[in-house]
Amino acid sequence: MTEAVQNVSQPQIEVQNLNLWYGEKQALKNVSMQISRNSVTALIGPSGCGKSTFIRCLNRMNDLIKNCRIEGKILIEGKDIYGPDVDVVELRKKVGMVFQKPNPFPMSIYDNVAYGPRIHGVNKKDLNGIVEQALRSAAIWEETSDRLKSSALSLSGGQQQRLCIARTLAVKPRIILFDEPTSALDPISTARIEDLIMNLKKDYTIVIVTHNMQQAARISDYTGFFLSGELIEFDQTRQIFHNPQEKSTEDYITGRFG
Amino acid sequence: MVRERYLEQLDLLKESVLSFGEMVKLIFRDSMTSVIDLDIELARKTLALEPEADRLEEEIEASIFDLLALQQPMASDLRLVVSTLKITADLRRIVGLSINIAKIPGRIEGGHVKPLIDTKKMADIAGFMLENSLKAFETQDVELAKAAAARDEEVDKLFYAVWVELIEMMAKDTSIISRATNLLFLIRYLERIADHCCNMCESVVYLATAERVKLN
Repeated sequence: MTEAVQNVSQPQIEVQNLNLWYGEKQALKNVSMQISRNSVTALIGPSGCGKSTFIRCLNRMNDLIKNCRIEGKILIEGKDIYGPDVDVVELRKKVGMVFQKPNPFPMSIYDNVAYGPRIHGVNKKDLNGIVEQALRSAAIWEETSDRLKSSALSLSGGQQQRLCIARTLAVKPRIILFDEPTSALDPISTARIEDLIMNLKKDYTIVIVTHNMQQAARISDYTGFFLSGELIEFDQTRQIFHNPQEKSTEDYITGRFG
Repeated sequence: MVRERYLEQLDLLKESVLSFGEMVKLIFRDSMTSVIDLDIELARKTLALEPEADRLEEEIEASIFDLLALQQPMASDLRLVVSTLKITADLRRIVGLSINIAKIPGRIEGGHVKPLIDTKKMADIAGFMLENSLKAFETQDVELAKAAAARDEEVDKLFYAVWVELIEMMAKDTSIISRATNLLFLIRYLERIADHCCNMCESVVYLATAERVKLN
């Protein structure tokens, strides 16, 4: 790991010696990582390497899985998110997530975006502004502003995914986790989401799991390579794709295995 | 092992550059022999090799563009493809300069104005640099690349010495200006060939270490 990565000043996310087991099977082995504010961090690695498991630890999605046991610490803005006094709903408000398959609620475009703010008790009079702002930030306002009452399910796959991003933005998270957000989308929708992610990093910290190495190379500032539950290499993306230090990283990104 | 076809293409690319390199060495060596011996026949044969060199260069470039567009090479593969593109361009320039050298015998009548001792030294060093920059590329040997490039300084010194000598000779005897000017061009071409070898050595260092260095 280079100095540049070790010396991330005041990391927004700090993972210390994270171990995770599903029953007897250890899925993450002693993973440590620091993620700085307003950066895009891509996590790559072959299927089953632990990258999705890892990203799900960052907003405690693994809590929902039976027999899942975690050791180690994850500090977000200095606070241990596995601490006893943590409100998981508040945590997930702060750490939003966008999934592989667009999953809009079966309701109108407007209500999809307004859903989070409503349950968090936002005033009705503020809602219109929040919805518009979120749709604009997710680069889908132009396409939806005249049909906010239409069903979200009438949108195309790429539009649905941007709507899901808008839905995430509406609750004003600090960090957004993307779990393979474009693997179900066509190249044009993919390019739009990639542009969007690069724009969003002005205001958010982004962690993205992707199988698309070119995507990781294009949009991220830092890249972590996982293999068999271990974080093999974590460095600036430029460094990883020009001159990785570990042979297994090199072999993976050049297609020698995986 | 996955991407076997891709790996074959990378191997093939490297081999093509090395065989292009063999051809460039031959063209350079024969062009120098033709000028030292004023051997018009050898010069003619050397000039006839240029189209084949063009063809090889185009072939290598096409396979590089294919690899970039279709395979998106990464990490050391990317460095191989990029350095290969640059090395091929340097080799092609060396062919161009050697062709210029092979044109000189046809322009010189009545023998050289002086024995080509230092000029031959320059050619020997440039030949050594060419040979070893290609070897360094083949084996990704950074030390060999640096050692080859380091000899550029000797070439530069000889260039300057011969330059001064020729200017002085022309000042004394204007009847040799035409023949001496051809020799001035010759040493300039040799000096440029050595520079292109340095470029190739820099590409080898980048290939092996991802570091961009200046070696001349």
